[in-house]
Amino acid sequence: MSKFFSSKSLIFLLYFLAGCTLFFLVGTILFQYYIALGSLDKVLAAFTNDRILSALWLSITSSILTTIFAIIFGIPLAYVFAMKQFRGKVPLETIAVDVPQTFPPVAEGMIFLLMLGPASPFHLNLTFTFAALVIAKFFIAGPFVVSTVTRRFREIQKSGINLTARSLGANPFQVFTTVFIPMSLTDIAAGSILCWSRAMGELGGSLIFAGVIPFKTEVLPTYIALDAKTLTTGALAATILGTTASMLALVTFKKLTLKGENR
Amino acid sequence: MKGLTIQNLTTGYNGKAIIEDLTLAVKEKETLVLMGISGSGKTTLLLTILGILTPTKGKILLHEKDITMLPIEERNIGYLPQDYGLFPHLNVSENIAYGLHVRGTSEQEQHTKLKEMLTFVELEGYENRKIQELSGGQRQRVGLARALAINPSLLLLDEPLSNIDQVTKLEVATHMKNLFAKLDVPIILVTHNHEDAIFLSEYLAIMIDGKVEQIGTVKEILKEPKTPFIKRLLMPFNSS
Repeated sequence: MSKFFSSKSLIFLLYFLAGCTLFFLVGTILFQYYIALGSLDKVLAAFTNDRILSALWLSITSSILTTIFAIIFGIPLAYVFAMKQFRGKVPLETIAVDVPQTFPPVAEGMIFLLMLGPASPFHLNLTFTFAALVIAKFFIAGPFVVSTVTRRFREIQKSGINLTARSLGANPFQVFTTVFIPMSLTDIAAGSILCWSRAMGELGGSLIFAGVIPFKTEVLPTYIALDAKTLTTGALAATILGTTASMLALVTFKKLTLKGENR
Repeated sequence: MKGLTIQNLTTGYNGKAIIEDLTLAVKEKETLVLMGISGSGKTTLLLTILGILTPTKGKILLHEKDITMLPIEERNIGYLPQDYGLFPHLNVSENIAYGLHVRGTSEQEQHTKLKEMLTFVELEGYENRKIQELSGGQRQRVGLARALAINPSLLLLDEPLSNIDQVTKLEVATHMKNLFAKLDVPIILVTHNHEDAIFLSEYLAIMIDGKVEQIGTVKEILKEPKTPFIKRLLMPFNSS
């Protein structure tokens, strides 16, 4: 190949392809702001629309609650995955942590509808409730806390510092609270931001399991999904709100991660 | 016997024995240096005494008490790992007082012990320093102070000089030796470095393939090494 192309032209091709990818990814995100600028008055008016504000409020609160639950339940699971060796751990961890992150969104909603819907075998019908929103978001977003924290706990475990703590008299629970948790604060924060951000964008479970009831279970993604067909400024305003919140959260996540890498 | 007694110990990793039928004793106030090349079993022995590895056979007695199956936190062994294992999120004082804190020692006692330890390792004035701000030698002293603050029944040190740069090594090693002289506890120190072993030891045990090949004072072993391999191990540049 180098016979026909000089190394300079090959490296140029490399930069060109990188530029194309960057332009497509960043350009797509920025395009919404460009369109919004064209009809700024209407978009600004949509920001004060009660239904959109309610969807924003429900998105934020349900995502915060999801993140709190992910911290409470996810950190213990991360500890078990990092510290315990047992048969079938790898497939179990893959199913519990990796699969939900890539799960078909509508399938998730279907499962919850069957499990906790009108025909629930547990006689627990949570459809069209705020709880359904949180449950659906937790399934998709909770594993982000588990995976981020597990990675850090494994590093700590490999360093052996937990065993030094035990040699000094700390029991395993004290080691968890005085070594694992304080040494993982940056990672817990990073995982939580990632979780919150993913929860903000969750659609399938919310749409099918929680439904789209304005002022009750309607969140930004479901509002956009239903309103997008008519290409209203409302849908554009909701898209801007959702993506901007996510972008800010993810930039913070990156900063925290970089800080963590320098530790 | 006061001190550490190891009787017919067989231990290793994942069911594979690294050390077989090892018997060893370290008296009170005695410093034993375990020396051997990588894979000789010295760290395996250290981790078994500490309680991280469980032996498949044999007994470990510490001051006549059987600690073979005791959990790590109940053995009361001061341990200084190779990288010192200092907690990066705690400052010097908090690191040293960690063992006292988790044992529920009163604030007053913690404070008194902390002052005593800072004086002992000559780190007065460094109480609030972050670990990241300390030199290798200072970190090692914090690790030692932390291990000693719990009044251990035994002190275990894993390659304590391996992370010290050559320029300050003699100073750090001399300081460490002087500290050992003031201690009443039995000490086991692991190293693969012949200079460190000769400088720090009172008694030397040479480990080869999971067995103690020769044990005695440095003078005795240097005078009459049991095998040519031991001679090469202790005098690598003068083994002809």
